Amino acid sequence: MLELRKDIFADERDDNLKEIGKGTQRQDMLGHITGTSSYFGDHKLQGMLHLKVVRSTQAHARLRRIDTTEAERSAGVRRIIRGADVPRNLNTLLSLINFGKDDEPSLAVDKVRYKGEPILAIVADSEREAFEAIAKVRIDYEPLPTVFDVEDALKPGAPVVNETYPKNAFIYHDVYDHQRLRFGDADAALATADHVLEQRYQMSPIEHAPTETNGAIAAPDTNGRYVVYTSTQALFFSVDTCAKILDVPSNTFHFIGGTVGGGFGGKVDTLTEPLAILGAMLTGRPVRYVFGREEEMQYGPPRGAERIYIKDGVMRDGRIVARKIRAFFDSGAYTRLSSYAAVKCAAHLPGPYTIPNVYGDVYCVFTNRTPATAMRGFGVTAMDFAIECQMDKLANLVGMDPMEFRILNAYRDGDMKAHRREAKNTALIECVQVAAEKAKWPIRDEFRRASSRKDGGGSRAVIPPTPTESRARPAAPAQQRTSYDRAPMTATREPPREPPPPAPLPPPPRPAAPSHGATRFSSVFGTRRR
Amino acid sequence: MAVTVKTFANASEATGALASDRAARYLGGGTLVMRALNEGDVSISTIVRARDQALTRIDVSGPRVTLGAGVTFARVLAERDLAFLHAPARSIGGPAVRNMGTVGGNLFATNPYGDFTVALLALDATIAVQGGFGSRDIPIEEFLQGRERQAGTLVLSVSCTRPASSEAFRYRKIARIKPKGGSVITLAAHLPVSGGRIAGARIALGSMAPTPIRARAAERTLEGRSLDAATIAAAASAATEGTSPSDNALGSAWYRREIVGVYLRRLLAEQE
Repeated sequence: MLELRKDIFADERDDNLKEIGKGTQRQDMLGHITGTSSYFGDHKLQGMLHLKVVRSTQAHARLRRIDTTEAERSAGVRRIIRGADVPRNLNTLLSLINFGKDDEPSLAVDKVRYKGEPILAIVADSEREAFEAIAKVRIDYEPLPTVFDVEDALKPGAPVVNETYPKNAFIYHDVYDHQRLRFGDADAALATADHVLEQRYQMSPIEHAPTETNGAIAAPDTNGRYVVYTSTQALFFSVDTCAKILDVPSNTFHFIGGTVGGGFGGKVDTLTEPLAILGAMLTGRPVRYVFGREEEMQYGPPRGAERIYIKDGVMRDGRIVARKIRAFFDSGAYTRLSSYAAVKCAAHLPGPYTIPNVYGDVYCVFTNRTPATAMRGFGVTAMDFAIECQMDKLANLVGMDPMEFRILNAYRDGDMKAHRREAKNTALIECVQVAAEKAKWPIRDEFRRASSRKDGGGSRAVIPPTPTESRARPAAPAQQRTSYDRAPMTATREPPREPPPPAPLPPPPRPAAPSHGATRFSSVFGTRRR
Repeated sequence: MAVTVKTFANASEATGALASDRAARYLGGGTLVMRALNEGDVSISTIVRARDQALTRIDVSGPRVTLGAGVTFARVLAERDLAFLHAPARSIGGPAVRNMGTVGGNLFATNPYGDFTVALLALDATIAVQGGFGSRDIPIEEFLQGRERQAGTLVLSVSCTRPASSEAFRYRKIARIKPKGGSVITLAAHLPVSGGRIAGARIALGSMAPTPIRARAAERTLEGRSLDAATIAAAASAATEGTSPSDNALGSAWYRREIVGVYLRRLLAEQE
């Protein structure tokens, strides 16, 4: 159990919550229903300029020439920002937690990898004038072969979407082109199963469709700092991402967030803040960058598409003896958070069931589609859709009631999960029982009497013999680390001219490892220490 | 260049402003024009409005009903004598769009919108437009064929004859998202019956071509017949003739061709 040190954190958490069944008012409801909640977009600053980006019309193309001659002369244009103006024009979001490789520019330089990728940012006196200048930009594209299907992208000879990943797959621990889960011998169990069922499942991308589109307003502040009003749903994450991209210490920024007009995972990518701040750095004026509705829908990151193959072996009595899964996450052209979703997915297999033989290969694949990102339960949602469809089909196959079939195969306290953690606080059986009762769905007595706290563990707690694949085990690097974690490079790049950026501070000392017994949880590496 | 808004007291002055400026666009309810402006359409630099009362008039006194171009769908729905147009009016947008969107603007809505126009096409509506030449009435089919060349003119009103009975006019919009998704396809059929046989059938389809079109081959199969199973089957199998649907996010051209006959059959057989 998670323990909170109440001697230190006395006011941190109310342990006497008794909210269920009560009409408790949300703390932000009054502001919302009276129209007084303030959003980032409510700030109108004196002399505020507007930033709009020129987006690629091609899904995959080399940029031969970008001609801004006419656009620069367009009325009201203050500044045209190119990739070369971005201090560190390559980033990956999870580099902040030492994961992944920098793979995505803020503004495309040599080529574009998805339709709608930003190429230039135009800062003008009004949105209208920015749009007029955009219409005058001439871009000469050399179209490249495209790939939009996850399995096609993994075939030999497929077009390389992103040169960071020559095989169009995210590489884990510098070695593996997928997340791999091996528990027992799934192939042997499938060979002896009474029935084998293999099915293919697929989920399309899903747009978060927030009422408020992504956006930010950045304004120069005193002492060389910048104040940033933003729609971000991950404020400190966005601060650090901007500090990295703009190559300044994070205390350069005063981020003001607060009310997010709908996030659901679609406002963690920090797409507008870096360019708005850079615009403010280059012009010395407040700069506003907000997605239009079409930009939000078409080019804002969605929940990624997934394709899933499940092959299950089930016995006549309803016990599932093997589950073999291949899953392909469509990350789009850049990884954003999809590489992490694949890790989460692998840890979730085979769902909330105890199956003695589990085999999982989960790929994070790059295609010429809009980069995907977080959305409620990502990494698990589509897989659960697939698994639960499969459960109904399996129940039908063995002639069992689908509710009873789930109770029979449900995990229980003390069972060993496929990723080699003991199952605790399990409650699937109870959930199914309550669902059956509420739906007036008859289940037999023995299933009504089943409990997550009984009959678990024992032989079910054993890690089964797992055949190792004949593959030389390469030495994994200590950690996947980006240069961001090292001391800042001695700046050879010319910093933005006006206003002068503050002198870079020495890097803060790395915090010492937690020593007070607190829980440290890294959901990416799956390490949990107690 | 900033966008200029010009407001006039009457329709003919507004028409003059539209005719003299290629970058001028008439603003009715704004559900199309404001969206275009917000999304950065720089081809519009002048907004023209008219306060003319005639544009918002509804005339239901005779057998022929006339709706001013500025009549909103909410007003159509509030008018008991326009019951035959309630289904198409209700199928458009949500309450906010129906409160602002107008009958005249819908004539210019491109796929997957413009459902009210599909109904008007089946009803053989007449469009009254005003241009530099004065005002004239245009049959809706002719109007739609030349829709892209209507710059410098202003739609004043639409009129059509009230169907003889509620069964004589049928409408169905197929959408993935209910109740306010864009159209996968939209169907409307006017089926006047004379002595138990159909005379002068008009079937209109939305999202089956760049503009709403008539399914003439299907209409021919109905002519002079009663609506029995064989006739309905013949009409359904002729539904795709002359259509040229395209792919969009709501459905592929292939899918539209596959389903149009199915839904026409259901529409004619009065099945849900």
